[in-house]
Amino acid sequence: MPVEALTLVPKAEARQTPKDFKSDQEVRWCPGCGDYAILAAVQGFMPELGLARENIVFVSGIGCSSRFPYYMNTYGMHSIHGRAPAIATGLAASRRDLSVWVVTGDGDALSIGGNHLIHALRRNVNLKILLFNNRIYGLTKGQYSPTSEVGKITKSTPMGSLDAPFNPVSLALGAEASFVARTVDSDRKHLTETLRQAAAHPGTALIEIYQNCNIFNDGAYDVLKDKQSAEEAVIRLEHGRPIRFGADGARGVVRDRATGDLEVVTVTPDNESDVLVHDAHAATPTTAFALSRLADPTTLNHTPIGVFRSVERPVYDTLMADQLDTAIEQHGKGDLALLLAGNDTWTVESAS
Amino acid sequence: MTYVIAQPCVDLKDKACVDECPVDCIYEGARKLYINPDECVDCGACEPVCPVEAIYFEDDLPDGWTDFRRADTEFFADLGAPGGAAGVGPADRDHPVVAELPVPASS
Repeated sequence: MPVEALTLVPKAEARQTPKDFKSDQEVRWCPGCGDYAILAAVQGFMPELGLARENIVFVSGIGCSSRFPYYMNTYGMHSIHGRAPAIATGLAASRRDLSVWVVTGDGDALSIGGNHLIHALRRNVNLKILLFNNRIYGLTKGQYSPTSEVGKITKSTPMGSLDAPFNPVSLALGAEASFVARTVDSDRKHLTETLRQAAAHPGTALIEIYQNCNIFNDGAYDVLKDKQSAEEAVIRLEHGRPIRFGADGARGVVRDRATGDLEVVTVTPDNESDVLVHDAHAATPTTAFALSRLADPTTLNHTPIGVFRSVERPVYDTLMADQLDTAIEQHGKGDLALLLAGNDTWTVESAS
Repeated sequence: MTYVIAQPCVDLKDKACVDECPVDCIYEGARKLYINPDECVDCGACEPVCPVEAIYFEDDLPDGWTDFRRADTEFFADLGAPGGAAGVGPADRDHPVVAELPVPASS
């Protein structure tokens, strides 16, 4: 599959299979963890890109999700807590022949790494960020995370969490992200399609993946997974299609003319033409942001999944490479040693 | 790689594994449950909950039961990977490895 974002990455010599992307490491997550499903989906998808494995890098931070690079038969780095976007930024900017992926979790990306995440997004570095959101700290055995719902009872909040949670999609849109999507661990087809679109995007792509932690926050997304409740709870976004859901598309999303906000209505012949048509490529993120606010953070009712926003804007790696070329053109190649020993240096002499 | 359901499940079908599977990849045949090898994500949630220890990682199948690896794969020859057992429902068929096993006398 020809992917614009990956034109500089060498192709694999032979046809690949998912097995080519499995490492010899024993996978160590708790039995039943949603991470297994995400790993299987990513390993199943990578052959489609047909990239040389030695030019693919998975960089992670700290947490359960961050064990991911061990299990991918590619280059990888289990890096510093919250700093995966920073490390990956350096890598992607300096090595445009690499396909760089970041694997992180709600704790890693939104607590300690919050700052790095937003700056990677605004810079639009050519990174694909997979944010596994299980709404709990799993590796440290079950404390509330930045996405836990208000009132969450955990070992560290015996009377309920007082913190208002982050909405990662809203956060990413606010940080100028050029590609933002949400998917669910157990929906292999949707997850794979989302990975496909993210891989094709030039610039930073953030995918929030709702992931079940069956030990410390089991069933957090059951309402979105149970066939019956999902019909009313999940809104599938497809570019160019009216935003309808529920049995036979009985429900739809319309704009409130007075406030400009979005609301869910029962579709009737009278209001059918008012149902919003999803435009992931809209120039402003306003509607994407409004869509990200539709879900009730406590019950998860009316949760949109799919690509919220996918727009093209200058990519950091390209801009940086161009700037370096221009600098060399104007001032010559330069000499690092000369620069280090240049005019603005001084020596601190000993007192004696 | 995948997990496989072997002999002890035949004519028992406790289904504790079905509740446990996070990707709904355990399908029901007439006499046995089958794990879809293309949908199994190797998470291992099913193995400890089986009350009769019928579930094994494919490489760990006891010598006498290695045919069940073939049974669980070939059972899906026509079905493929439909993306979840709930949408398919129980089948009234079995793989020959299972179908040819003697039916226990009803008590």
